[in-house]
Amino acid sequence: MSFVLDCPNCGSREVTDFGFGGEVTTRPTGRPEFKELNRYVYFRDNKAGVQREWWVHRAGCGEWFLAERDTRTNEVIWTARPADAPPARAAAASEGAPR
Amino acid sequence: MSLGFLSISAGATARSPLLDAALGGGARSEVRDGWEVVSSFGDPTAERSACIESVGFADLSHLTKLELQHDGARPFAAGEALRLPGGWRCPVRPRLDLLLAEPSAAAALRPGLEAEGRVCDLTGSLGALAIAGPLAREVFARFCALDLREGSMPVRGFRPGSVARTPGYVLHERPERFLVLFGAAYGQYFWEVVADAVERLGGRPVGTDSLPAIDEEPARA
Amino acid sequence: MSGGRLAENGGQRIRRGEELRFTFDGDSRVGLAGDTIASALYAGGQRTFSRSFKYHRRRGELCGCGQCANSLVTVDGAPGVRACGEPLRDGMQVEHQNAWPSLELDVMRATDLVGGPFTPPGFYYKTFIRPRRLWPLYEKVLRSAAGLGKLRRRQPEREWRTEYRRRHCDVLVVGGGIAGLSAALRAAQLGADVVLCDEDVEPGGSLLFEGGHERARDLAARCREAGVEILTRAPGLGYFDGLVPVWQGDVLHQVRAARHVAATGTLAQPLVFPENDLPGVMLAPGALRLAALYGVDPGRCAIAGVDDRALETALSLHRLGVQVAVVADLRPDADSELTAALETAGIELMRGVTPVRAGGSKQLAEVQVGPVDPSGRLRGSARRIACDVLAVAGPQAPASSLLLQSGARARFDDTLQSFLPQEAPPLIHPAGAVAGHADAESAMLSGAVAGAEAALALGFGEREDRDRLASERAKLEAEAPTVRRAAPPAKSHDGGRGKAFVDLDEDITAKDVAYAAAEGYDSLELSKRYTTVTMGPSQGRFSQLASARVLGEVTGRPLGEIGVTTARPPWTTVPMGALAGRPFEAAKRSSIHARHRDLGATVRWAGDWRRAYDYGDVEGETMAVHEGAGLIDVSTLGKLIVRGPDAGELLDRLYPNRMSTLKPGRIRYGVLTSESGRISDDGTVCRLDDDTFYVTTTSSGATAVERWFTWWMASWPELDVTLTDVTQGVAAMNLAGPGSRDILAKLTDADVSNEGIAYLDGPQLAIAGIDCLVLRIGFVGELGYELHCAAPQARGLWDAVADSGARPFGLEPQRILRLQKMHILVGQDTDSETTPYGANLDFAVKLDKEQDFIGRWALEHYEERPPAQKLVGFTCPGGEVPTEGAAIVEGDRVVGQVTSSRRAPKLESSIGLALVEPRLAEDGASISISDDGRRIAAAVQTRPFYDPDGELLRS
Repeated sequence: MSFVLDCPNCGSREVTDFGFGGEVTTRPTGRPEFKELNRYVYFRDNKAGVQREWWVHRAGCGEWFLAERDTRTNEVIWTARPADAPPARAAAASEGAPR
Repeated sequence: MSLGFLSISAGATARSPLLDAALGGGARSEVRDGWEVVSSFGDPTAERSACIESVGFADLSHLTKLELQHDGARPFAAGEALRLPGGWRCPVRPRLDLLLAEPSAAAALRPGLEAEGRVCDLTGSLGALAIAGPLAREVFARFCALDLREGSMPVRGFRPGSVARTPGYVLHERPERFLVLFGAAYGQYFWEVVADAVERLGGRPVGTDSLPAIDEEPARA
Repeated sequence: MSGGRLAENGGQRIRRGEELRFTFDGDSRVGLAGDTIASALYAGGQRTFSRSFKYHRRRGELCGCGQCANSLVTVDGAPGVRACGEPLRDGMQVEHQNAWPSLELDVMRATDLVGGPFTPPGFYYKTFIRPRRLWPLYEKVLRSAAGLGKLRRRQPEREWRTEYRRRHCDVLVVGGGIAGLSAALRAAQLGADVVLCDEDVEPGGSLLFEGGHERARDLAARCREAGVEILTRAPGLGYFDGLVPVWQGDVLHQVRAARHVAATGTLAQPLVFPENDLPGVMLAPGALRLAALYGVDPGRCAIAGVDDRALETALSLHRLGVQVAVVADLRPDADSELTAALETAGIELMRGVTPVRAGGSKQLAEVQVGPVDPSGRLRGSARRIACDVLAVAGPQAPASSLLLQSGARARFDDTLQSFLPQEAPPLIHPAGAVAGHADAESAMLSGAVAGAEAALALGFGEREDRDRLASERAKLEAEAPTVRRAAPPAKSHDGGRGKAFVDLDEDITAKDVAYAAAEGYDSLELSKRYTTVTMGPSQGRFSQLASARVLGEVTGRPLGEIGVTTARPPWTTVPMGALAGRPFEAAKRSSIHARHRDLGATVRWAGDWRRAYDYGDVEGETMAVHEGAGLIDVSTLGKLIVRGPDAGELLDRLYPNRMSTLKPGRIRYGVLTSESGRISDDGTVCRLDDDTFYVTTTSSGATAVERWFTWWMASWPELDVTLTDVTQGVAAMNLAGPGSRDILAKLTDADVSNEGIAYLDGPQLAIAGIDCLVLRIGFVGELGYELHCAAPQARGLWDAVADSGARPFGLEPQRILRLQKMHILVGQDTDSETTPYGANLDFAVKLDKEQDFIGRWALEHYEERPPAQKLVGFTCPGGEVPTEGAAIVEGDRVVGQVTSSRRAPKLESSIGLALVEPRLAEDGASISISDDGRRIAAAVQTRPFYDPDGELLRS
């Protein structure tokens, strides 16, 4: 695994410069039931395909940012600061995407 | 000042995280402005010419390093540092700059910075080495994956990124002279890595006095 | 005349008159400067270079370029050197491998003569299994039989210095044949920063031994003038998401290019017929290299092939002065200028025939050729041709590994009779023979096209360069020459006995592949794993296509369906040392570290820090803290400055208790919980002023906590708060013991009485002239002060405190002291399931506070349920100190485990912490520890072993 990522502040760096923060999840609002809490804490989509995820430039500027990456090929489609990120594709999330 | 304990106190001498390794490598030191600095390695002539003909490296950890967290009103000059009297203002994030300066110059800059945002003294947090000479880039190539080619990293270029597999920064201060900053706890490790690469390429450690000055014209055309 | 040297020709590498001396198995031999070990041996008459892996059959020159396993030798004690690619040096000591007692007389040849039934494909699943008690003997025999070279047992200190070199460039061209050179030149001319790497000692590829050496050298010179960095003897090892490591002797170049050109060429393929492994049967380029590059006369040659390459090889050899007996072309009718040229040269051309047997005792003496039916069996009679060498020109297979690793697919091409890499991803451009453009002119053009495409894609070049590229592409397509190539049978034979090898490295015959298929291993991937075909040192270069053909024949499937196995790095055998780089470990050390060394400390790793575990007297150091004053370096603690109007709010959202209510100059203990309510770290928070907090974390958790904090800050951008990590910039030392106040008083003018600095106060004052933040907390259970100051001045502070009577103590005494107080170590006394309720930290959870804090939802659930395990203290009345991690048992059921245990000198007893089922968490409860086969009786206690009410701490 030796791909490169574009840090929004610093530009292109080897993937080893970064820390991976996992896929973007939706935090429950209000007090969740035990089952919903369990889902939020333990379950992930773990998609074989384009995934929206968190990265941090731990060896450089230290900023957290978002990316979309194809987990099958490691092709990084875009990286952006959270405020500048394109809106999530809501369709894929709710339309019964294969688990 | 509630963060006063982060800064160097007048009451005692300050030591660079690289000093013990440098002394072990034959350094001569003296106290200047409260810091025990490496003035030379016993042969200033050879040290100066190493910086012009092959490569020399010197400990500059005594530089004051200040982190300024501000509101982001200034445009973010990604990757390019601003030269100041006796120092640099380096853009890390849109709301975070790293100021580097000789201690006396830093004292003059500080009030202005306090007015701009929150200042935190990182002098002790970061070690600093200058690597100077025609083979400087080849030295970096041995322990750093940053693209420091002339076209990608002109003078004043500033790059946060991994150095010797640890978090750090590289600044291109003048032609063939680079400054690398790294975690102070890695002092001895960093000395070993750089000394090994430099000596392999025919260079040597040098005292701070032997470095070509930043604002001077290069010695060779 | 076989062996000896040919007349001079411009392409030769040897320098006549410069003799080099070396030894082979102790015998003195000579060679010339420029020779490889193999060419020098061959010139001196040596024909057997090694014995094969399984059958110990003689093997000789095959590829001539260091790609096959036939010429593996040990050089100056280092095994696994490919003699046909390794330049000869004066004084080299070369030894054979894999034959005993000698290369000429090898006892293990018995496996070839009689051992066939013992070593069928997959023999390790079938033989050497029963009787089971003989396995140790079998293992010994197999171990000494396996492997191809011996490593010296004794190696002095690291002998071989290797290093990494990072190289960024615009275009990396892998392969320096005519296509690669052409691509590099074009890209450089357009302005790109180009690196070209090639395996050979000079670039030029097959031009160098096919008469095109002047053209190759001229092209290389023009590349250098244009600024291309050419790396020779430098194979590209693989394609790792665009990073290509190029191994060049002592240096591993880590090349990160924006675009790649793969000009890796093709590999000559063998033909499969009985005894096709005899020394003397070699690949056509092997014979050509011997003659053209090293001026060695291979001997009387016969050529066998399936296309024009056979004819070209014959003509090239003839021009070099080699005697060419016959060309056996499998094609029944292919006429060209080449056939006319052969006639002029007086070389006989036989059409429609292929070898069906090789003959000779220790080396090739004759080859039998004849026409074969579609299954490969001889039709009619064979003609015997006396010869020393059979140069085989089977169909060329593209060296597509790099392209396939990048994501290209291998598709079978019927015309070319091999698998072409196609659908390469956009960042890598195939060029030359690997892309199917094998003849020199097309290769050159396709190289220029690839180089231009790469450079233009990066923004170099102008409009006219784009137009030029378009017309070149069109020309390449339009003028592709027709290739006429015959499809060789999977195996050609005369119906008689003899081994027809498909994989020389692993000694796999066509029959073996057929048997494996009959046993059910009939897909290429299964066949590979069962027979081990392609798993030898040449990794399938000369065997994959042949084995696929056999499989196709046996299963009746076309080659396109059989496919190829997955291409994996490294492309070539690379020593582990070349990948290791420099041996420096990234160790963190405190600014006081030299002092610990001076004091003779036992230094060990604690996470990624080097720490003093003790100074040689654990008990003495521990007692010093109880009786006088001790001093320990705790600079490794994580330290974060949290600042801003919303700093308190941030902390309230991350900690289960309230931090915003802290007064300036006061400290509070806090435990950090995850979203699932589990303890992730613990530490202290000291409020420095209204907007500034100083947070400490555990040493090992520092990085994780910093990341936890910053991630949440990124999720709550509305909070006006900043974070600065000063872990490395602030040194800290703990001065602890009843005498610590007096020592402090000596070093400062401030009021250090119990009222001046109360328990949990965090004042700032100058100690020994150094500004410090003093945290009066009590990790080790005695009156104590944690002194935090700027790291560059810490050594002076340490010296002043130690000189005033504090005795340095290490991590191990600290562990004992904290255990007496039942102060937990997160990760040791807690596990991934432990909540604050399980660790007796209920006081640190304030569910009644307003904020939603991380972990609240889970903790609200856990408040109502008993935890699965509770942390308790225990003592062992018998004085045993159980091993940490030992299980606590009831009958045969595990009911808990020991997390920490030590002997406490002050208490003169054995104490510990354990996680146990809640019903056992009662004072006096008996528990039984199972440790290393014995049972240890212990008694539970829930309150600290020493000063349970903390009176000493607050004194």
